Amino acid sequence: MLTLFKAMFKEEWRMHSTLFGNLNFALFPVLIFAIAFMGAFLLPLVHNMMDTFILSIVVHAQFLLMGVMVGSFGILGKEVMNRRFGQSSLIAYSARSLPVSERILFLNFVVKDILYYFILWVLPFCMGFLIAAPFINLSIFWPLLLFLTISLAFLTGLCVVFLLSSVYAVSKRALYLVLSLILVAFAVVSILYSPVFALSYLLLPANLFVSFSYSGLLISLLLIFVLFFLSVVFYSPYDTSSEKHYKNLLNSWSEKLSFLKDSTLVAKDFIDLYRSGIGIGQTIFSFILPLCLIWLVMSFVNQFLPQTGILFTLAVVSGVIASTIYTWLTEFDSISAYYFLPLRLSSVISAKAKTFTVLQAVPVIFLAVVAVISGGIGFFLNSVVLCLSVSFFELALMVRLCGLSPGTMIYNVRVFLVYILVTGPVILVLLGLTFISPALAYLSALMLIPAWLMMKSGFKKWDSEDFTGL
Amino acid sequence: MASVIRTDNLTKTYGELRAVDSVSLSVEKGSLFGLLGPNGSGKTTMIKMLTGQIKATSGSAEVLGHDSLKDGIKVREVVGIIPEQETPPSFLTSSEYLSFVAKIRNIEGIEKKADWWFDYLDFADKKDVLCKDLSRGTRQKLMFAQAFLHNPEIALIDEPLINLDPVMQRKVKNFLKDYVKAGNTIFLSTHILEIAEDICTDFAILHKGKLLHTGKVGELKEKGVHLDDFFMDLLERS
Repeated sequence: MLTLFKAMFKEEWRMHSTLFGNLNFALFPVLIFAIAFMGAFLLPLVHNMMDTFILSIVVHAQFLLMGVMVGSFGILGKEVMNRRFGQSSLIAYSARSLPVSERILFLNFVVKDILYYFILWVLPFCMGFLIAAPFINLSIFWPLLLFLTISLAFLTGLCVVFLLSSVYAVSKRALYLVLSLILVAFAVVSILYSPVFALSYLLLPANLFVSFSYSGLLISLLLIFVLFFLSVVFYSPYDTSSEKHYKNLLNSWSEKLSFLKDSTLVAKDFIDLYRSGIGIGQTIFSFILPLCLIWLVMSFVNQFLPQTGILFTLAVVSGVIASTIYTWLTEFDSISAYYFLPLRLSSVISAKAKTFTVLQAVPVIFLAVVAVISGGIGFFLNSVVLCLSVSFFELALMVRLCGLSPGTMIYNVRVFLVYILVTGPVILVLLGLTFISPALAYLSALMLIPAWLMMKSGFKKWDSEDFTGL
Repeated sequence: MASVIRTDNLTKTYGELRAVDSVSLSVEKGSLFGLLGPNGSGKTTMIKMLTGQIKATSGSAEVLGHDSLKDGIKVREVVGIIPEQETPPSFLTSSEYLSFVAKIRNIEGIEKKADWWFDYLDFADKKDVLCKDLSRGTRQKLMFAQAFLHNPEIALIDEPLINLDPVMQRKVKNFLKDYVKAGNTIFLSTHILEIAEDICTDFAILHKGKLLHTGKVGELKEKGVHLDDFFMDLLERS
């Protein structure tokens, strides 16, 4: 077991480090450390503006969110096994010929992934605060407690979504039932007590950071254990369904999309989304859930924002998260499945960008709901322009930097650094402008010009690169 | 005979590794050319360079008069290719995959052509099944069908008989022989020497990226030398 785990871990490291070099990959956590270290110096300033509990919720929610986005193993189920393990070059594949059950194999894979993300993100982030603590006259107790509670937040988010996605893989109705029950329980507690009270239970680790107790720690650990245990019980690595026959959709769908140049490739993307179930699963777990969580957290910092602050901040965040739709579209199968046909990489990327464009209806609908509920319907159009401009800008940046492998390339420290150095200022400037005047949100449309240029240069770049069959 | 594939000092390096090392060869029209060699000898790299899927480090290559290095798309338009791994897109059915290939290649009347292949390779019952749910053998049949869907003058095929049962292997071998008799050319990459001896007219032996020998299978047969003995002997001496 341990040998298998260690081998998988080593393999994960080598897979990334051979792609962009040991140093480029090893520097990734160093970069996260540096960001946290420098961010710690802003703490006294932020603390003057914000209550400790609210600040704790904001920080912990980010790591809960990361856990939420990482934890959807369950929806992928057998597909993860096929896609990740289906490559004969991977240890996990060869391990299938050993007397090890697929459930154990999958468990190794999950724990390895958790530990990997932990080392890449959580640990360096906390170390940044720990090292910065003496410079900002902060007791070492706080960074150490933060390390504990942030780890709990990350694991809670991960386990909640692991369970929900495993339930989803078994029965979609059961998932909707569980989600409805959670929402009703949250609403009832909010009405009976207060939304802050309800949220503090939803974000137990944040509460624990503000008022630490051993009983609270025990409850948090127990919750993680129960969620993880149930996830593994519900998770099924096996496809028990009998051989299914499907109607030919490619001809009719590409006919409907014939106004597009790459209609066949776009139709293929939609068939992938539809038949894999990943389209709905990812929309719920990687889009709706995280954004609802951000929305909820933002309602607590509302007092620090202008009237339209929530809507515009959510528009920008939706834009950034919506851009990750491109990552889903690149993960169905390897391009080597059809690269031997007369196709350029740029044609495949361009088709995915078109599919991406159609899928931008998802953030638009989400913003419509937010606008209606938050009473900002008058600024709906502004927020849509803002969101889509950010989303397309980020898409172009990803295409330029990562081509068809955004899920892997983002761990190249150079790529990640460029990504955050370009994205960060853009987001800050846009938020600043919209806070000055809602009408300035329309200015964000200007970002489509550099986006278009980046996309074009991305096409050129990837067409001239030697395709390695990732 | 006119040569339809020609390489001159074709080389591909990955850092220190010379995957293909200054290979110069010529394939005549109407031949069934076998590129033979042990695992890792550079056969698949050769096919990928010839079809512009990867760029050569140096040297030149031409397929049907098109420069493989500069115009890989044109080469891939005119040839048929069976790649090394049988991995058609997961969520398309077999018939959708053939439609997909036909649309990319602008092939008319695909239903009739696809049905012919489903019947010929005996997998019509799998045409509405998702590619990810197909057995390896059926996937290989599908990859075989897509390569010949547009009746290419040349097909570059990488281990096309792997995963096929003996009955199907016989059928495929007969198809390839007939295809060549009709004036077309096959560039076959394989390490299974019995297959090469059975169907190839010409052959080349690649080892550690270097071309060790080119010759005609018929000439060996006339001398009473088996291809596998010749191959082993050559490798031992190299």
